[in-house]
Amino acid sequence: MSMPSIYKTLGTSVLMAGMAFGSTAALAADGPLRGNVRVVIGSTSTGGDTYQNSNIVVDALAEHLDLNMKVDAVGASSAFRFLDRDPRGNTLMIFHDQSYLGYLYGVEGYEDIFDKYTIGPTIAINPGNAYLVPKDSPYQTLDDVIEAVGNGEEVRVAIQPGGVSEIGFSALKNAIAIEHPGMEDNLVAVNTGSQADKNQQLFDDQADMINGTVQANEQYTRLPEDDQKAMRFLWLTARNSTIEQAPEDGLGKTTREQLLQYVEPNVSVPMGNGDDFTFDKEFFFLYNKDMDPAIVDQIDQALTEIYAEGEIQETQKNSFFIPNFKPSEEAAEYLETKMSVYEDIITNIQ
Amino acid sequence: MFDILSLLDITFFLLAALGGLVGIIFGAIPGMTATMAVAVCLPLTYALGLNHGLALLLGLYVGGISGGMVPAVLLNIPGTPSSITTTFDGYPMAQKGEGERALRVCVVASLIGGLISAIVLFLFAPVLAEFSIKFSYVEKFLIILLALTVIASMSRNMLVGIFSGVLGIWLSLIGTYSISDGGNGHTRLMFDFLEPYLFEGFSLLPVLIGIFGIATILLEAEEGVKSGLAGKNIKFGKGGGFSLGIFKGRLTNLVRSSFIGTFVGMLPGVGGSAASVLAYTQEKNLSRDSSEMGKGAPQGLIASESANNALTGGALIPLLSLGIPGDSTTAILIGAFTLQGIQVGPLFIPENADTWYVMMIALVFANVVMFFLMFYAIKHIAKVVLVPKYILYPIIVMMCVVGAYAINYGIMFDVWTLLIFGVLGYLIQKVGLEVAPLIIGFILGGQAEVYFVKSLESFGTYSIFFTKSPIAVVLWLLIAASVAFSVTMGLKSRAKRRLETSQ
Repeated sequence: MSMPSIYKTLGTSVLMAGMAFGSTAALAADGPLRGNVRVVIGSTSTGGDTYQNSNIVVDALAEHLDLNMKVDAVGASSAFRFLDRDPRGNTLMIFHDQSYLGYLYGVEGYEDIFDKYTIGPTIAINPGNAYLVPKDSPYQTLDDVIEAVGNGEEVRVAIQPGGVSEIGFSALKNAIAIEHPGMEDNLVAVNTGSQADKNQQLFDDQADMINGTVQANEQYTRLPEDDQKAMRFLWLTARNSTIEQAPEDGLGKTTREQLLQYVEPNVSVPMGNGDDFTFDKEFFFLYNKDMDPAIVDQIDQALTEIYAEGEIQETQKNSFFIPNFKPSEEAAEYLETKMSVYEDIITNIQ
Repeated sequence: MFDILSLLDITFFLLAALGGLVGIIFGAIPGMTATMAVAVCLPLTYALGLNHGLALLLGLYVGGISGGMVPAVLLNIPGTPSSITTTFDGYPMAQKGEGERALRVCVVASLIGGLISAIVLFLFAPVLAEFSIKFSYVEKFLIILLALTVIASMSRNMLVGIFSGVLGIWLSLIGTYSISDGGNGHTRLMFDFLEPYLFEGFSLLPVLIGIFGIATILLEAEEGVKSGLAGKNIKFGKGGGFSLGIFKGRLTNLVRSSFIGTFVGMLPGVGGSAASVLAYTQEKNLSRDSSEMGKGAPQGLIASESANNALTGGALIPLLSLGIPGDSTTAILIGAFTLQGIQVGPLFIPENADTWYVMMIALVFANVVMFFLMFYAIKHIAKVVLVPKYILYPIIVMMCVVGAYAINYGIMFDVWTLLIFGVLGYLIQKVGLEVAPLIIGFILGGQAEVYFVKSLESFGTYSIFFTKSPIAVVLWLLIAASVAFSVTMGLKSRAKRRLETSQ
């Protein structure tokens, strides 16, 4: 091979690499938000709900503001770090209740988001947080579980510790402590990671109940009972009013009507103040504290217009998300109240 | 069945082919992986629709896994983590001037591995998914342990090799000991001031590229500037000395390795690199003439490449029949379904038969495209070794730096990791430690710990490792056989050396 053709080959490969990397530079739009905007999310999974929901919203925003915006699934600790070091507004973050639950549970890498960041608008709820048992489980309802634990039976629950997956478990433990004081330690957490791990714990008979989601576990609930993998929903932590807003067809082949059986008031987990515990996993924006407030307003304004058009709600509902737009200020207040409720539960059972 | 044909059009095949090409490029650039290629292109599936999107992504997946062989053979840098064992025999062959031949062996092995796993996926997915859930923490730990036994058999000096392996495991444990993994959620094995950087430990890819690529370049640099392989006997043209005859007597190896790859791919949570390591171990243990392995034997390439391409079909098994991704790339692939509002789970295949057939066609087609693209491009690609090193190496270093920076979406510490491990890789070879066992320890150490601790946490007794299930017993037998084999081989070669020195 002659030298020039080597350079040509090399040149072509470098060019190809450049093309693979390259993103087209966005044209500067009007308004304070300009250039390329990177939206980091607190999850590393591109198959998960955070990525999916963020994409729906970010795509709509990008189109509305005529900006180049991209969702990056970098995971919680990286996302916080990226956000920390960019006050210009070219890095935004979308995450859910995990962002403050991680702090409440004392997970390393989490700080008080209300103190450290500006809270942006809420955008949607994933109503799917669920607890399941094997289809042939002796527990027919969540009450059976509470009773069994109250009677000294050990019930093992597979969860991912330190956040969204644990909060329902904590609430259940709290409820048992209220109804059967002193027996709550019979509800045992089996700490695992991914959904696959949690399912596996159930298949291996290493857990009696698992945390899961409607989305990931619905098909398992439709398997015949003699299948080792078959499961049954016991409890959805969402508010009744949230599931009410889901499409009538529900998800997969499980209708909204069927899902409503598993939420309050049909399933009751008392908090001790007369209310039942509920948990809606809500997605919202987080901003760098020093970011220009004009950008906060700009995004609020844009989302208000997008939600007023009504198209995004349809897209979200089709993917089993419940639209729940609240502008920044309202969202911050709402989420802070929400956190204080869960803070009480977590302190109660410690 | 004819309904399916209406879903396939020219665009479908073009996208699969384009995916294959771009995937190969991603795989071939050190630091860029199949996972990354799929992640970058995932949002495109919005615009393309499900079937076209899947064609593109599966092309990227197959191409990305295959492309890793190119830098592994020619530059001693594994392009993707699963091509690490390809460097063991590929680079020595390239140094002997047989780079083109080595690559052709790799491509053929890759094609066969990919096709075998696709057939297995098509015919047995639900049955195998059923089997894969029989593997609990205990069995997964034993699989990793079996893969770790390769350290003993591939070391030049067993004691030094095992020490290097342990060192690798130690390095892999640096970082946060997550509560989900049975830890306390705190960082460990580091100084406090390093916490912000080593929060998640050292990233795999920068470590790999550093210890192989940068270290190799440093070693070469020490020797001074020479003009490449000029003057050496390089076999080009007429297939570079390649003929299908190389595969004669290697059929067992090929099929066994493909099945090992498919099988490891199928187990969620057992990383892809374990597949090629395991296949390599088994070939080393079971083959009659394994003494040349590690010095440039095509059989090592066959084992490594057929296994890592077989991963693709294997990893799709739990994804499509349980909704659980089998490796990091399929974990991203799942996004293509959720973005379209399709849930993957145990009922996916029966309820989405069209999509299932479309995926199978895309997978097989992508493998074939990969084969033709690479087989005929190799004679050009292989000439990379002719580029003078004073031009080639700075370019490689630049690519390594860009790749390391990009792998976790822009973490500067990953570039430092690259440098640290580059220098470390250079130093440990100087003091006589062995790189391959160290890196295998590093790759598998983290998983070994997690599954070991989780097993104890779940069952509360050490005896469970022996009594859990018949599968566990079989795995112990394999481990024992592998260790026994390494010891005998070690003793034999020592006796041989003694004999030689006494003569």
